[in-house]
Amino acid sequence: MLSIPRQGLAVSEQPMSSPTSSPSATKGAPPSTFTQRLNRGASRDRQIHHLGGYAFGPLLRIERFAMGNGLSILMVEDHAAPTVAYHTWFRVGSRHESPGKTGIAHLFEHLMFNETEHLAAGEFDRELEELGAESNASTWLDWTHYEIAVPSSAFARVAELESERMQHLVLRGPQVESEKEVVANERRYRVEDDVEGSVGEKLWATAFERHPYRWPTIGWMQDIEGFTVEDCEKFYRTYYAPNNATLVIVGDFDPERVLGKLQEMYGGYRSATIPDPPLEAEPEQTAERRLDLIKLTPTWKLNLGYRSPALGHPDHLPLSVLSEVLFGGRSSRLVKALVRDREMAGDVRGSLSPLRDPGLFEIFVSAREGFSADQLLAAIDEELARVLTEPISSDELERAKARIELGLLQGLMTNEGKASTIGFYEVVLGNPAAGFDRLLGLSEIRPQQLQELSARYLSRKSRTVIRVEPQTAPAVAAGEAE
Amino acid sequence: MSAVGPAVLLERDAAIPLIHAGISTRSGADEDPQGLEGLTRIAGRLMRRTAGGKSPDEVDARVDRMGASLGLDAGHGGVALSGVVLERSFTDFMALLEETLTAPGLAEDELERLKRETSAELMEILDSDQQLAQRWFLRSVFAGHPYGRSVIGSERSLAAIGVADVRRCLEREFRRDSVLFGFAGAVEAERAQQAAHSIWERLPSGGGAPPAPPEPVSEGGRRLVFVDKPERTQTQILIGGIGSHPSDPDHFALLLANTVFGGTFTARLTQEVRSKRGWSYGAYSSLGYDRRRQAFSMWTFPKAEDAAPCLALEFELLEQWWSAGISEAEFLWAQRYLIQSQAFARDTATKRIGLRLDEMLNDLPEGWHDQFSERIAAITLEQANAAVRNRISLEHLTVVVLGTHAAIGDDVRRAIPRLGDERVVPFDTE
Repeated sequence: MLSIPRQGLAVSEQPMSSPTSSPSATKGAPPSTFTQRLNRGASRDRQIHHLGGYAFGPLLRIERFAMGNGLSILMVEDHAAPTVAYHTWFRVGSRHESPGKTGIAHLFEHLMFNETEHLAAGEFDRELEELGAESNASTWLDWTHYEIAVPSSAFARVAELESERMQHLVLRGPQVESEKEVVANERRYRVEDDVEGSVGEKLWATAFERHPYRWPTIGWMQDIEGFTVEDCEKFYRTYYAPNNATLVIVGDFDPERVLGKLQEMYGGYRSATIPDPPLEAEPEQTAERRLDLIKLTPTWKLNLGYRSPALGHPDHLPLSVLSEVLFGGRSSRLVKALVRDREMAGDVRGSLSPLRDPGLFEIFVSAREGFSADQLLAAIDEELARVLTEPISSDELERAKARIELGLLQGLMTNEGKASTIGFYEVVLGNPAAGFDRLLGLSEIRPQQLQELSARYLSRKSRTVIRVEPQTAPAVAAGEAE
Repeated sequence: MSAVGPAVLLERDAAIPLIHAGISTRSGADEDPQGLEGLTRIAGRLMRRTAGGKSPDEVDARVDRMGASLGLDAGHGGVALSGVVLERSFTDFMALLEETLTAPGLAEDELERLKRETSAELMEILDSDQQLAQRWFLRSVFAGHPYGRSVIGSERSLAAIGVADVRRCLEREFRRDSVLFGFAGAVEAERAQQAAHSIWERLPSGGGAPPAPPEPVSEGGRRLVFVDKPERTQTQILIGGIGSHPSDPDHFALLLANTVFGGTFTARLTQEVRSKRGWSYGAYSSLGYDRRRQAFSMWTFPKAEDAAPCLALEFELLEQWWSAGISEAEFLWAQRYLIQSQAFARDTATKRIGLRLDEMLNDLPEGWHDQFSERIAAITLEQANAAVRNRISLEHLTVVVLGTHAAIGDDVRRAIPRLGDERVVPFDTE
């Protein structure tokens, strides 16, 4: 429940496609017909405008609408199952926080399940469950995401419940205190008592010196403990406004009725002035950074982070292909070398962060007994050097592309999966169909390009290295030795 | 299954060009001989790695080239060799399945490598407090029963496994009367049937499901297993015992009562432990089943200082649920929730196939899942409350706490009413 994705979606993007203004491929009248009907007599804030559509794979289509108050609405009609996914994305994440107040975006996500002006504490979830709904939420560096999946017949009530908490949340001291304790326990679970969680946090905090990506989305423990009701109120009034949100509705519904209900529920909300995040550009990294830790763990661990481009950068897609060549599946170069051939590691993973701003190309390795982090690092360096000396074969490239295609399609099996994919690309790139654009872009990628990118991005001077030494005797206190 | 063709389950959905395909058997790790725990799992994995006598590198590259995944899951009562593939690669995927099942190389050096990898997996588990607690919980609840044995095996049992054991295991597992084929996604019935038949006719005849293990029995009183791990800021707590099986007449009634107790985000456990007190990020109770009754368990993970009060509260809630039951309002809410949420149990072809496989693999009548809502609607409040008293034993309960014993051991012991046996085990005990 209420999870923080660690590595985001295993997909990447291509340059954005523009929305088209062709009529909807969905059943019934074109959207402009029913928006005209809905807008008769409506005030400017309540008016809904159809801004065009995007092909979403061969069979489906995303329609984009905007309400006069700035609320974005993306809809995909799909009657394969009698359910509707109702997702709300806010363009606020931990990047919008400041030192001393880290973790408030995530704490606030928890608080959104509490009392509202018309619902007592606990009633929101209770009613959703009675409707048969599944609900969850997640917060990450760039965004906050609330997801509800519901039987089609319950759509209208979900719109009432979800719109209520966008503007009518009630924040009281005891609930804030209790939720802070829950989040502190979540932090103990994910970070304090979890080797990989705590190491990952150190990696980002070491790799970034100025950008807000340097603090964890869950927040530092002392910040979590220090939040007040006033902090939460301020955050809510600043960021939870219709013009900072996108609704993604996917599934079995009648588009005109859905838009009519959304107009009824959200049309009265006023837009707000959303401040720019307090960003400081991260300076270029010019030398390797290292941090050594001692943890209660049976074998050495190694976590590397190479500076990587933002999701919207043209290099991101080919780098994600390179990541698949190196780490995707048992036949990938690094997994084969370290796990299978040399039997140095129990687990090897690599991933490229899918963020608005430049992030990290992360590598995590858990050593087998008898191997040290330095031995692992030497083996990784050897394999990365091999990318330059031994060109990536066309077979390796085709395998990587096939894995990326499989990953995208697997995420689209349910209405919830489609809504998550659409919303993610919308809030990070402004293009809800970018997942499919990415597939088209794969055909352009050549082995030589991956070699060039490897040389540019996977260089020692732009990386951060965290070595975790296993604590040999339990009596020795865990600690850090830089 | 019949003498002339395989049992094939199919749910077609061509909206996404993917096909899930797999072969399941009704014989699993419960059949592993004493001292060879982990055999079924390792035999299946070796078979998958050496399909058609090829090297694992060749097999893995082939799977990736297809845009596919293929894995083997071994459970107590069955094994599933299954995966997902891009529609355009379906023919090659089924050819690979056929080579996996009918012509595995089973090379000895690869078996030894696999054993070393499995040992590394066992080592990795030491990093997961949740898995360690779960391991000791199952060992204690099902002491002396096959469900208490490890599916993955131990260092000692892995060392004892040889290629001859693997061959015997696979010959037992994959026979004509043992296997079920399942397909979901963008595949036509005829194509699926042909692919299944091509494999089935090359399998040895005979087989069938072995007898289910004996029904596990609640016994041993209230027991505490304290898994001692240094420097824990947080604990893992599991409380429970034997649950129910879908063939029990009061299974649905118990399921409904458990929904009120700890089955959802607004259930009693979550409200009392998380929402009111903030003691644990999660607080749930669940019922599992296999071919026999599996465990009823409550799971929380409070910080070390809250472990004892959290345990005391959980016992209070459990005893209240058992003795006073659930209210009419709670009953009606849970009934509506279970019926309405069924939409998500079957909203994809893969899930629908999963339900039908579950019926066939766990000795449930055909259509059992289709009757879910009808059966829930027929339950009365009295039946739900009676099911709790009938199925959940307050006398025989296992409590597993993973934490730092020196810091909280005494408080934990005192928080458990009527505690009988207590055992402290170092976290790295195999």
